[in-house]
Amino acid sequence: MDFKQRRRFLKGAGFAALGAAAGGAFRLDRWLPNGFLATAEAAEGTPIAGKDGLTVLNDRPLNAETPAHLLDDEITPVARHFIRNNGIVPTDMNPDTWTLRIDGLVERPLTLSIEELRRRFEVVTYRLVIECGGNGRAGFEPPARGNQWTHGAVGCSEWTGVRLADVLKAAGYKETAIYTAHEGADLHLSGTPGKLPISRGVPLKKAMDPYNLIAFEMNGGPLHPMNGAPLRLVVPGWPGSCSQKWLTRIWLRDVVHDGPKMTGSSYRVPPHPVAPGESVPEEDMRIIHAMPVKSLITSPRSGTALDSSELEVAGHAWAGDTDVARVDVSIDYGATWQAAELARPHNPHAWQRFSANVRFPGPGYYQVWARATDGNGISQPFTPAWNPKGYLNNALHQVSVRVA
Amino acid sequence: MAARHFGRAILPVAIVAAFLGLNASADGEPEIDPESEQEQTLFRGMPDAEGRLEVFGFCASCHSIDLVLQQGLSRSVWEDVLVEMVRDQEMAPLRPDVRVKVLDYLEEYYGPDRKARKENSG
Repeated sequence: MDFKQRRRFLKGAGFAALGAAAGGAFRLDRWLPNGFLATAEAAEGTPIAGKDGLTVLNDRPLNAETPAHLLDDEITPVARHFIRNNGIVPTDMNPDTWTLRIDGLVERPLTLSIEELRRRFEVVTYRLVIECGGNGRAGFEPPARGNQWTHGAVGCSEWTGVRLADVLKAAGYKETAIYTAHEGADLHLSGTPGKLPISRGVPLKKAMDPYNLIAFEMNGGPLHPMNGAPLRLVVPGWPGSCSQKWLTRIWLRDVVHDGPKMTGSSYRVPPHPVAPGESVPEEDMRIIHAMPVKSLITSPRSGTALDSSELEVAGHAWAGDTDVARVDVSIDYGATWQAAELARPHNPHAWQRFSANVRFPGPGYYQVWARATDGNGISQPFTPAWNPKGYLNNALHQVSVRVA
Repeated sequence: MAARHFGRAILPVAIVAAFLGLNASADGEPEIDPESEQEQTLFRGMPDAEGRLEVFGFCASCHSIDLVLQQGLSRSVWEDVLVEMVRDQEMAPLRPDVRVKVLDYLEEYYGPDRKARKENSG
């Protein structure tokens, strides 16, 4: 039975009664044709086209992260870049007909095709870290709301596009503009026409950072459909949600943008430290700006068994809007630390490779820890500061090894 | 076992049967066991108890049930989630008795101790 036949079969089965039996309308009309099948497909372990080895957290909307040991590449391959979706992925991703609208508080509203973006503005390529604001959420206790990302909602691919700042200058942003507002072509999960699943923005000052791109290439090829093809923002160093996918519009505002997932508790943290599990009034929550310093051990894979007492530990470190100054490694639960070799970033906002040769004193079970420190002297904590939505978990990464 | 669950299980079983391309007989008599592997696939391992159908049906209307099942929240935070779903995400408000059923189920199996997950892995 192919999918179409299945759908017909399901539609014909009279499911209104099911909703009624449970005390109300389930809206099974939406659920059955796509969602039910999507769920069943994921259960069967169907791979995501063009992706390799990702762990699916949720298939509708599709959210998938990359195990740490598969993020070892200096430039994250397209196949290994995580997927964080908020809505229904658009069906039309044609780069030839795609347009981007720049309006709001600008002197000259613009409507630009991708070809016009290429022609009118300098095209640049940078390696840029995109990390989901909720990366590491699974590490909070008590558990925090949302997709339970572990470590792999981060990547540093090579993005090609035009500078957001150049486009905003060409549109002539007005003096009253203080904030951007981003819109994409994805649809709200409820299917409500015209309702945006997510529309975030950044202060104009951040928007003018020359490393923000309106990107149309990823690692020298087209964007992956799940990573925002054919056009997206890349706003490195801030929560990934600022990097709107399937980008169709940027408008400038004279207030802090209040689109979906800008308000309430979305991408916000308490104004002061709170006890684990503490309730925080939504009106007190503050918008997350730059992401904190962090590192990821990508080699060895956790659980590795070693014959030798020597090991090269390697991975990447990154730090929001600044650079990483040092990375230290420990094999004894933080009792002693050893400085790792740390590469300079390829360009600002690229992650930095670190490596260290460690020697184990004898056989046994070890945890290898890495701890990065940024240019301001701020290090990764041992335990993340709990917050209601589980953002900004930059606690140091640990892998285990067994030495024979 | 089947008799105990029959009243609530018959419809989901019919869905599973339909999905699998099995023929449910004309009167809806299920041809697969409600505790079967197929049913576990549909419900993603949700413990079979009062409220499962409501949680699955209302939550999975818009998003995968996996978004719910990977979380472990206190009753009051699950209540916040329902408020937000209605306020921001186009969910229709639940009838009060259904709401209680949904919260009871989530509290029991998807609380901070993640009882359902432990049961499944154990």
